[in-house]
Amino acid sequence: MDKEQALKETNEIFVDMFDDEDIVLSYETTAEDVEEWDSLTHIQLVVAIEKHFKVRFTSKEIQSWQNVGEMLDCILTK
Amino acid sequence: MLFKAGDSYEHQFLVSEELYSGFIHLFEDRNPLHTNEDFAQGKGFESRVMHGNILNGFLSYFIGECLPTKDVIIHTQEIQYKKPVYLGDQLDFSATVQDYYESVQAVVFKYQFKREGVVLAKGKIQIGLI
Repeated sequence: MDKEQALKETNEIFVDMFDDEDIVLSYETTAEDVEEWDSLTHIQLVVAIEKHFKVRFTSKEIQSWQNVGEMLDCILTK
Repeated sequence: MLFKAGDSYEHQFLVSEELYSGFIHLFEDRNPLHTNEDFAQGKGFESRVMHGNILNGFLSYFIGECLPTKDVIIHTQEIQYKKPVYLGDQLDFSATVQDYYESVQAVVFKYQFKREGVVLAKGKIQIGLI
């Protein structure tokens, strides 16, 4: 899987999670760019992403991400 | 590690008169399906059907009191009702850790309520370790 495909699939997870068809993620997207992306939603997103991509993150990895692109890079290294 | 996939828990719950009347007193759901024997039987049930959310109260007890730590909070919860629960039912509850997400300290349980081996309700609960 390439990064663009991972972004597309992650976007679908976000659309479903936030129930918002208008969400368009980019590599630079951060929590501040998405309304309602709070700490609890963040947990739900991580769980959904781990489940979807069949990967497991560490808490250290999660804390290191600055944006969606860095999260995707992490997925692609798994 | 407090939780790992496959860990299982069991508990028995009784749908007592006290619980039933307390639920009605607190939440005031007196729908005849729950309170009128003739109405319930007219709809094809054996007796008054207990409020489905009584089971959610049992789930609350399980999460709050039966786990190896009190440092928990419920994130999400879903339940599927398969068969009616009646007053006086003794329910066998079981739950199994389906997934543990170390990254966000979240635990997903699959659970079910049975009466005499028959599944009455089942679902999933996700909790966070706080």
